[in-house]
Amino acid sequence: MRSAGLWSSALALAAALLLPWYMVQDGILVLSFSNGGWLTDPDGAPALGLILTDGRWWLWPAVLAPVLGLVAALVPLPRPTRSWLFLLAGGVGLALLAAQGWSIGPRGWMILWLQGQFGETEARQYGIGWGGTVVSAALCVLFAAGFAGRGAFRGDAFTATVAVVLTIAIGVFTALPILQMMAGAFRDAGGAFAPTSAVTRLVDDRLWSLGCLAGAPRCGVVWNTLLLALLTATGTTALGLAFALLVTRGRLRLARPLRWLTVLPIVTPPFILGLGLILIFGRSGLLSQAASAWFGIELGRWIYGLPGLLLAQLFAFTPIAFLVLIGVVEGLSPTLEEASQTLRADEKITFRTVTLPLLLPGLANAFLLGFVESIADFGNAVVLGGSFNVLATEIFFAVVGAQADAGRAASLSLILLVLTLVVFFLQQRATGKKSYVSISGKGDAGLPPPLPKGVRRLCLAVAGTWAALTIGLYALAFLGGFVEVWGRDYTPTLRHFVKAFSIEGGQFTGLAWNSVLTTLELAAISAPITAALGILAAWLFSRTRFAGKGALEFATLLSFAVPGTVIGVAYLAAFNLPPLELAGTGAIIVACFVFRNLPVGLRSGMAAMAQIDGSLDEASHTLGGGGMDAFRRVVLPLLRPAIVAGLTYSFVRAMTTVSAVIFLVTAETELATVFIVNRIINGDYGLAISTSLVLIVLMLVVLGVMNLLVGSRRIGRRAVAVTAASPAPLPGAVA
Amino acid sequence: MSRRHLFAFAATVAATFTLGALPAAAQGSLNVYCSAQVEWCQAAANAFQKETGIRVNMSQKGSGEVLAQIRAEAQNPRGDLWFGGTGDPHLQAAEDKLTAEYRSPMLDQLHDWARRQAEQSQFRTVGIYAGAMGFGYNPELLARRNIAPPACWKDLLDARFRNEIQMANPQSSGTAYVMIATIVQLMGEEPAFEFLRGMHRNVNAYPRSGTGPIKAVARGETGVSISFVHDAVTERLGGFPVQYVVPCEGTGYEIGSMSIIAGSRNERNARRFYDWALTPAAQQLGAETKQFQTPSNRSTPVPAEAPQMSQIRLIDYDFARYGSSAERRRLIERWDREVNSLPR
Amino acid sequence: MTRAAEVRFENVTKRYGGTAKAVNDVSFTIPAGTLCTLLGPSGCGKTTTLRMIAGLEYPTEGRVLIGGKDVSALPPAERDVSMVFQSYALFPHMNVLENVGYGLTVSRQPKAKVREAARAALDSVGLSGFEERLPSELSGGQQQRVAVARALVLEPSVLLFDEPLSNLDARLRRRMREEIRDLQQRLGVTVAYVTHDQAEALAISDKIIVMNQAVIAQEGTPRDLYEAPANAFVAGFVGEANRLPATLSHRQGDMAQVTIGSATLSLPHRGAAEGAVQLAVRPEAVELLDVADPATTLRGTVAKAAYLGGLMEYTLTTEAGDVFVIDSHTQRQRGVGEVVGLGLGQRGIAVLPA
Repeated sequence: MRSAGLWSSALALAAALLLPWYMVQDGILVLSFSNGGWLTDPDGAPALGLILTDGRWWLWPAVLAPVLGLVAALVPLPRPTRSWLFLLAGGVGLALLAAQGWSIGPRGWMILWLQGQFGETEARQYGIGWGGTVVSAALCVLFAAGFAGRGAFRGDAFTATVAVVLTIAIGVFTALPILQMMAGAFRDAGGAFAPTSAVTRLVDDRLWSLGCLAGAPRCGVVWNTLLLALLTATGTTALGLAFALLVTRGRLRLARPLRWLTVLPIVTPPFILGLGLILIFGRSGLLSQAASAWFGIELGRWIYGLPGLLLAQLFAFTPIAFLVLIGVVEGLSPTLEEASQTLRADEKITFRTVTLPLLLPGLANAFLLGFVESIADFGNAVVLGGSFNVLATEIFFAVVGAQADAGRAASLSLILLVLTLVVFFLQQRATGKKSYVSISGKGDAGLPPPLPKGVRRLCLAVAGTWAALTIGLYALAFLGGFVEVWGRDYTPTLRHFVKAFSIEGGQFTGLAWNSVLTTLELAAISAPITAALGILAAWLFSRTRFAGKGALEFATLLSFAVPGTVIGVAYLAAFNLPPLELAGTGAIIVACFVFRNLPVGLRSGMAAMAQIDGSLDEASHTLGGGGMDAFRRVVLPLLRPAIVAGLTYSFVRAMTTVSAVIFLVTAETELATVFIVNRIINGDYGLAISTSLVLIVLMLVVLGVMNLLVGSRRIGRRAVAVTAASPAPLPGAVA
Repeated sequence: MSRRHLFAFAATVAATFTLGALPAAAQGSLNVYCSAQVEWCQAAANAFQKETGIRVNMSQKGSGEVLAQIRAEAQNPRGDLWFGGTGDPHLQAAEDKLTAEYRSPMLDQLHDWARRQAEQSQFRTVGIYAGAMGFGYNPELLARRNIAPPACWKDLLDARFRNEIQMANPQSSGTAYVMIATIVQLMGEEPAFEFLRGMHRNVNAYPRSGTGPIKAVARGETGVSISFVHDAVTERLGGFPVQYVVPCEGTGYEIGSMSIIAGSRNERNARRFYDWALTPAAQQLGAETKQFQTPSNRSTPVPAEAPQMSQIRLIDYDFARYGSSAERRRLIERWDREVNSLPR
Repeated sequence: MTRAAEVRFENVTKRYGGTAKAVNDVSFTIPAGTLCTLLGPSGCGKTTTLRMIAGLEYPTEGRVLIGGKDVSALPPAERDVSMVFQSYALFPHMNVLENVGYGLTVSRQPKAKVREAARAALDSVGLSGFEERLPSELSGGQQQRVAVARALVLEPSVLLFDEPLSNLDARLRRRMREEIRDLQQRLGVTVAYVTHDQAEALAISDKIIVMNQAVIAQEGTPRDLYEAPANAFVAGFVGEANRLPATLSHRQGDMAQVTIGSATLSLPHRGAAEGAVQLAVRPEAVELLDVADPATTLRGTVAKAAYLGGLMEYTLTTEAGDVFVIDSHTQRQRGVGEVVGLGLGQRGIAVLPA
């Protein structure tokens, strides 16, 4: 606690004295050290320089708070007093810095009554730079150290820091933009506050009508969304389970290729899948043409609407369910199943009464993710939705459509959020109370039983169909990159690749180079951050109790539940102004990736954590390890599969997201997905597909390398079954 | 404080972790949101940069998206100029004072329709090209089904087009709204809605995006679409079997526009681009990148492939009235109530 | 190891959430260098108490002192204790040596020293040669030893055991408890040991704290508890006891007259008031007599009899109720239906308030 306070104060002080407080003009690392002039230069000066030479007295907290922290850490004081001082220095310092940041902006006062109170000000402030960022971050740690010193979080500074940093980060990057945008639901079209307009929008017949049951042409958008989401979530969970079981217990020779096949849809940029489906099942698609030519049957336009949309979402989101479930299935302790078998339960009964119930938290997680993905999915809905409207498209077109009604978009987002909230709550109710510890501290042994024959056959049939469809779809889609005109003129050509990725005289002259490289870079930056935050959050949420944990857990889900477009607009509005002036930079895209993909890392982490006995952490604590040791040496190695899943998923999502970033990209930070979507909009499928292909290959390579590097978990289950184990103890059981 | 604004912007750019330091060129820079086709955007940016030495950051997005972005950034604008895209969102931005007033010395050289639009928007936007509304159809598909292509608006009511027509959903698409506004001006409001209700029986879907129907035609998913004719030309050049017709009764059109964003940080450069984009040399770039709208400068040569505006019966489109938010909302809501909710 | 420390609870209460108390106003002292057992049925608060010593839980009220220092708010890592868990909590991804060396590794000791100390600890529990194995490759007893070695290697002043033997078979359990006792005596360390097995507690403890329903029912030496249980709960929980209704009269000094059935005995009243009381009678404290004086002995009929090799078990029906008796005189077996006298001495009988 003391050391955490010491180094964080020291760091904050150093940053306040040395690092430029505001964003610097000439890049990050360029400081003219030669004459020390940068210390007082108004553009690049650190906090102290600004205070002394520019009279910016309101930056004093940046210097004084770390000094106070440093004094408290160095002077011999009783623990409670020192903790209070840490809390004071960290908390008040942060609060004052935040207050000044949001009070004085690029055009003087940012809050009207301040201007009324104090008159015009000459002061102008821009976004904070490294100095401001480091000081604030270090003060967070100081605050957390004080918290820990008061006995919170078992007195552990690391745990407290994780909790405080997560809370602030999620507050700033998830709750703030979304709530700010939600407030728009209570404004009318002109922007004035009008709570009644929210009510009018929310009871709109277009949302809730059940007319289709009575023969009307359409039902309310909410019902459509709900129906689709339930079908998709059920389908993806079932498919994901089938795959997970087959891969781990199917005794299948094709397990590995199957595994890679399931990854394919996730690494596919948006729209490609939908277009591929149209090419096969559309009115002029291969299947329809064949049916018409051979049997004289007109299959028509069935692909547009619920069936096509469901099909596309099943393709797109099954891999997510698979990723969540594979970790859980692998972590399942075989001894429990062996125990069941010794209790006269045959394979089938064991599967039904032991295996499936043990998978329940994983299944619930997969279902939740499938549901949320489905209601937030925009890309498939816009290509295949036809007249079947869902909330995600409604919201997008409320934002960018001909009516441009931000209030309506906000109201619809509100409904989406409530849907998510309800499902989240139900999931918690279903699995929250029970314990599913399966990796206990007692070394455990046994062989996973093979699948019951019926189940195996079912899994094989489902997975086989799916695999065949996937292969067909992709073969056809990728063909588009090598032919003149996709779906029309199948003369082979490589011209699309040349156009996209030509290199002339060492120069990247291809059209796609810039966006592909930027995408790779931003994805590579955001993936480890996402994975790390996700695992830390999972650890925190499943191993500590603190006030507001539930709220925080839910807040992480917010950004996932809201469609990307909404997030994009919300981010732009929230981070367009100082002190957090991120718009137009790569940082805002990275932040968007991180906090939008965090929930998946978190959910898979938590599912995995639920299987690790809490006494392992406690053992580490009683052996003198701090929270950091328990996390790094015990939990982390056991969570390898979850980490791989988190890394993989966040990297891939960063590479394939489009709707969330479409408003955030600039010329410098154009992303490959945005490039691809624009090509598709322009009907240049060849270029779009060749770029997608290159992206997919890149992602597969990265995934392969990641898998190799992280390796698989070493628990050392025995190859031969031995005695039945006693039931695993509950974590933190009270005798 | 413009120097500080510039610095702040440069700082923003520079702090992009990915790209490190990017010192602004001596001539300064210009941030353009472009809603025209990306090739056109790129060609315009390159040509302007070559001519003036001003660095152009080009970001290509749909016009609805740009409008949403400008609205979100209103407090601290990041873009300077908005180039291309259908006129309605430009007019809306003008109505909400999101764009700045500017009277270009080039206005005199423009076609009447372009000048009139500028006047109607208090010079907050100007037309750079125009494109007529028409029908796109797939000749192969229609031939296979023995359906004669449509020639007039009233043909769309014919039973032979049952389930063969697509138009975009006006709730999301500006293109579809232009169509509704066109027939309202052509027929009067009550007969127009009578017509829309009649056509509704023949429509198989109202896709969300304005170019959705013509792409469906190109891929053989539907027989006929209501689209801008230059979009049909683009699809045809992409290798798809697409033909277009201009309705015999006369038709409406869109005016692709250009606006300077209010509070722009590089306003001088933006004005320079604005003037430059209205010159014949700049407007020729459209045709060079296979975009066949009609340019707004009278002396810009019109390419042979382009639909000849002079040969099309254009209605006297009232942009002031039908471009206003209130009228738009009223018509779209009426359409949703009286047409979209009917069974087919 | 001479750094053994005293553990002291001062009016400690632990609440979870609302008003339910897991531990209610508990005070006790574990003297330095002794082995003290926390004994009680499931849910009595003994594990919570142990976890509060470890620092895995914090008291809601009251103070916890180790070696005279208030540690109530200190995290586990800053207390000089280590713990052996019921599940052993061996890290499944580390081999035996890494597991044992963990405590030293996280306190940033040099690698060579860690290795050396870990080997020594493994040696002390008789597991040399198992260094490279993974926990899953060990038997239950071996895992248990690894867990003990891992706790020992830090040379803590207090060592905590949470039902360490509950996962072992009976034979191994007996051996392991002896080893733990030996180890404790050899090292002179303070040990707090949670169990629900009274035989285990009696066998190894210097002191036993019996807990029931979040409070201490009684504390004392095994002998105190067994021979002078403070209440019916302790009498029934520590060892077996017949509870017979009796009447107390004529208190005089420490002694009083106790009438049970027809017999009257002179027993220490241990503070019980005159009137109805209970007698806790140990099964082995009853002597079976052929000839009995009804004024001092109870008469009973043999209802059940079982031969257990070294001893006999009888259930006798008497006027005071059924009495369970363990008789070591296996030569003189009594058949069902036989009438015998039950001789009650002073030892093994305790007066309890009714």
